Amino acid sequence: MTRALRAMPTLFRVATAQLSAYRAEVLIWILTATMPLVMMALWDAVADGGPVGGLGQGDLARYFTVTLVARQLMSAWLSWELNPLIRTGGLSAHLLRPMSPFWYWLVQHVSHVPLRAVVLVPLIAALIAWRPEMGLTLDPARTSVFVLSCALGFLLNFVAHIFFGALAFWTGQSQGLFMGWFGLWSLFGGYLIPARLMPPWMAALNEALPFRAMLSIPVEIGASLMAPEAWLGALASQVAWLVAFAGVAAWTWRRGLRRYEAFGA
Amino acid sequence: MIAVKDLRKTYRVPQRDPGLVGALRSMWRREHKEVRAVEGVTFEIAAGERVGFLGPNGAGKTTTLKMLAGLLRPTSGEVSVNGFEPQRRDAAFLEQITLVMGQKQQLLWDLPPRDTFALNRALYQIPDAQFRETLGELTTMLSLGELVDRPTRNLSLGERMKCELAAALLHRPKVLFLDEPTIGLDVVMQLQVRHFIAQWNERFGSTVLLTSHYMDDVQALCPRVIVIAAGALRFDGRLTDLVAQVKPRRRVVVRPPAGFTAAFPPPFALEGEAWVADVAPADVGAAVQQGFAHCPGMDLRVEEPPLEQVFADFFVQHRTA
Repeated sequence: MTRALRAMPTLFRVATAQLSAYRAEVLIWILTATMPLVMMALWDAVADGGPVGGLGQGDLARYFTVTLVARQLMSAWLSWELNPLIRTGGLSAHLLRPMSPFWYWLVQHVSHVPLRAVVLVPLIAALIAWRPEMGLTLDPARTSVFVLSCALGFLLNFVAHIFFGALAFWTGQSQGLFMGWFGLWSLFGGYLIPARLMPPWMAALNEALPFRAMLSIPVEIGASLMAPEAWLGALASQVAWLVAFAGVAAWTWRRGLRRYEAFGA
Repeated sequence: MIAVKDLRKTYRVPQRDPGLVGALRSMWRREHKEVRAVEGVTFEIAAGERVGFLGPNGAGKTTTLKMLAGLLRPTSGEVSVNGFEPQRRDAAFLEQITLVMGQKQQLLWDLPPRDTFALNRALYQIPDAQFRETLGELTTMLSLGELVDRPTRNLSLGERMKCELAAALLHRPKVLFLDEPTIGLDVVMQLQVRHFIAQWNERFGSTVLLTSHYMDDVQALCPRVIVIAAGALRFDGRLTDLVAQVKPRRRVVVRPPAGFTAAFPPPFALEGEAWVADVAPADVGAAVQQGFAHCPGMDLRVEEPPLEQVFADFFVQHRTA
């Protein structure tokens, strides 16, 4: 841990240099995660005749604007990198270093945030100008809790990627499994449907699933769809899921490493 | 100090019949075959030794190196490197070793090697003064010059390998596992890398375990060789002893001056335009004297069998054993 903290400035510098080498590709990736804009248009049409489930057009516009921001802040893609690293033996170079490779990958993810912010700020400003009725405000307390919740959500996503990436130790490729997970995440996480608008059976099922903690909770906080007195409980549920996920991912990773065959040389 | 005792590694490899039918069948039922890559290898290497680890393709050399470096978990047996159990991959252990694989790289592909060096400085917690000193030495010894500021992807294979070596040695590891470090390099670059490894070993007293298919690497760097074939240890000792064991005879080759037509006496026999005596090392002196006595103005040389031939014969013997 001490080693990782001391190495942080260099890790960030190197990660930013790598990011700049791929800046066009990263920019395209950022722009492809604009599904919330599509959903905003769709739900706008649905709520044209009046509020749906208590959410009017302004509420839905605010919800999906915050979803766009949260999605960008919480993006993780590690399993896509782990698969080829495990399959081709590229992981060896990471394993030979005297520091857990997860620090390196974590910093790589975080280093994308400034570039994402640069793209997001004008986009959000344009959305607010276009839909002033959404009433998006930067209340300091809410914004702070939103950022904290996004950080927890990001870690949850990151750890989920470690788990799915580590499955490649057994299967060779695990992107298919992750895409199945991503489908469930989209459906239950509030990416396509706000949790409040889910049918009762789906909402009940969602209580037992981790997806709300991975996206919907920070979005509900940021979009003022969660009362302040519920924040603490929501954050606690994120922490609980994070601890559980981290345990499973660490166990899977350690078991997987025993199977690692360091191919390719 | 490296100690390996009865080391074994077995891979479970998926099998399928060729063709579409085989592919479809394997979707329902995947069959596996056990491949014993390393079978009961035992050896010890003292600190500061330079040892060649040799064998034909698929002999288990790289698998053994990967177990020594902690990348692979042995199926059974004991491994100790400088008192550490490699498979635990303790940070203190990883700080003491390096593994250079000629066909794999640690350099960051899109960035100049200088960035990988900076990354390694941070990860290995190398003090600034030591980093500058070591990088300066490596830059001189490997003639890195401006290479360190060009993106890795724009470097030639040889240039990249030199930078790989530099990145792998910045933390001054005590144990160097070098897996074909000169593969694909031109002759000049091979010489340079060979010279560098010898210099580094002398300068820092690092232990070197080297695999290579280039016998010149082995001859130049490794007084001792460990030979494995089909996963099992076949020889462990001085290179000269291996040569003496496999190809014990020497060739005394003489070329008489123009106009000299008299036949040389046995053990010389005519081979093309030269007279050749195939003799035991102890009889070389007698054969040379005999040759000079017969024709004082001749051109004479004593040939040792090429190492490539020694190893080829050795591997054939052990493949059929």
